[in-house]
Amino acid sequence: MKVIQVRCPNCNSPIMSKQRDLLFLCQQCGTLHVRDGGVNLVDYEIADFAKSAPIQGRTYVPFWRIYANFTILSKNSSGGSMYKLANWIKGGGGDSGDVFIFVPAPDFDPPTFKRLATDFTANWPKYSTRLDFGGVPRLPANLPKEEAVKLAHFVIITMEAEKPGVLQTLDYTLDVKDARIIFLPFNSTPDGLRPGL
Amino acid sequence: MPDEALSVGLSCPSCGGAVSIEEGESVINCRYCDSMLFIEGDMGIQTVAFKNKVDPQRAMQAAEAWWKKGFKARDLKKVGKTTEVYPIYLPFWSTTIKVAGWVCGYEEKTRSDSKGNTTTERVYKEVMVLQDHRFSQIACDPGDLGIRSLRNFSGERTFEDFTMIPTFETTSSVDEARKQAEAEAVEQARRGAGVPHITFERIYTVPRKMSVIYYPIWVVRYSYRDRMYVVTVDGVGGQILSGRAPGDPLYQSMAITGGTAVAGLVSGFGLVFATLEAGGSSGYIAIFALAIGAGVLYATYRFFRNGSEIIEGEFQGKRGEIGNPLDVGEILKTLEGFRP
Repeated sequence: MKVIQVRCPNCNSPIMSKQRDLLFLCQQCGTLHVRDGGVNLVDYEIADFAKSAPIQGRTYVPFWRIYANFTILSKNSSGGSMYKLANWIKGGGGDSGDVFIFVPAPDFDPPTFKRLATDFTANWPKYSTRLDFGGVPRLPANLPKEEAVKLAHFVIITMEAEKPGVLQTLDYTLDVKDARIIFLPFNSTPDGLRPGL
Repeated sequence: MPDEALSVGLSCPSCGGAVSIEEGESVINCRYCDSMLFIEGDMGIQTVAFKNKVDPQRAMQAAEAWWKKGFKARDLKKVGKTTEVYPIYLPFWSTTIKVAGWVCGYEEKTRSDSKGNTTTERVYKEVMVLQDHRFSQIACDPGDLGIRSLRNFSGERTFEDFTMIPTFETTSSVDEARKQAEAEAVEQARRGAGVPHITFERIYTVPRKMSVIYYPIWVVRYSYRDRMYVVTVDGVGGQILSGRAPGDPLYQSMAITGGTAVAGLVSGFGLVFATLEAGGSSGYIAIFALAIGAGVLYATYRFFRNGSEIIEGEFQGKRGEIGNPLDVGEILKTLEGFRP
């Protein structure tokens, strides 16, 4: 085994952090990179806290935001007739389209992972961006991009499975066009993480 | 997971401080200077070794205590004689895999009413799978040692025993281990979902880095009436991992006598009950009793057939605790490769 010091591929400054993080953010030039089979730069955005968000417990959570075209080729569910009928009356349910899939990058427990992923994928967050974290700590990422794409499939199937009716078959395509990190603002409370948007 | 960090032989290239890494991790931060560090292993594989915590005396005591348990020869404690005790390091592939997916389908439930009419109902199911799966598998040919996976993942880690204890090198490929780890994780998730008839399934696996864990194991060889047997002892916890021991003819005789008697009584009871209480569900009770009787008879036969030797551990082709006859030649051949 060999230990090497991680340096920014842009300005060669050493990357410093008080926690283990798969995302290497350069504090000098702001370049974000990962090392999964090579040195790869990652695009990222930092979302600003809403003015109403409490100051206490502020923290940033990194998400992989997967931008993809999702097309349902065929689907069959048992039950859920009223939902299907309502969808048909509205003119279909949108069986093809571009979607943003939000995959939490920290090592969350399964229920938290599922809740955050499905909540943000169902309701894409709206935010203004900022250039730095403003002294707010951030949770470390533990999920490489390739694995985030795999879990994006899981998230999208979960969205379909949780519609009314019992899912029996689903044939779909998910064509990934872009993957970037979005640091979303949260407030850490005794009841868990609450979005600070 | 209560894994302890490894902190031997690695230092921060920035400040020179000792760094601690956890199994399967490739990124760490130096606790002295906060530098982010990246671990480059041999083909991305990390090596971890557990410290041996057992001495020869403790290994022998564990083996001899094991002799007294179960249906082993009653005179094993008196006649059995330990001939050799020595430690070895065995390599294991180890990783953790996140499993996420959905298993959909249905289950058919058949019900009978009092008139004997049966109806089959289809119960549709959609089951989410989201869990972590721990995988371990021996990374060399274990021969007939009866050890194929690791049960313990916590303990002090060090390479300092490597100079004292003979170490067996890895012989299986990491790619094969990865494939098996993912296949095992998917299979366990599928089984756990409990959907008998699957119509749709997507299970995704997110593996962590693969590590090689060198684990200390004590080999205790002993003789019993001119036959050689082997027991292996966990070098960290001191418990028995695998072993073979002579069975007892008395227990075999008792089993065949008692087992056939019980099987006959249960089957006979069922038949008599069915004859006296003709009609209703008495036929089902008779069939049920006959089935139990046949099961007891089969278990009795298994015990009688294989009870000449008691086997514990992960032996290939082993079914239950009582398995195949001893192949001393195979064990000794295997151990020749491990001996100091």
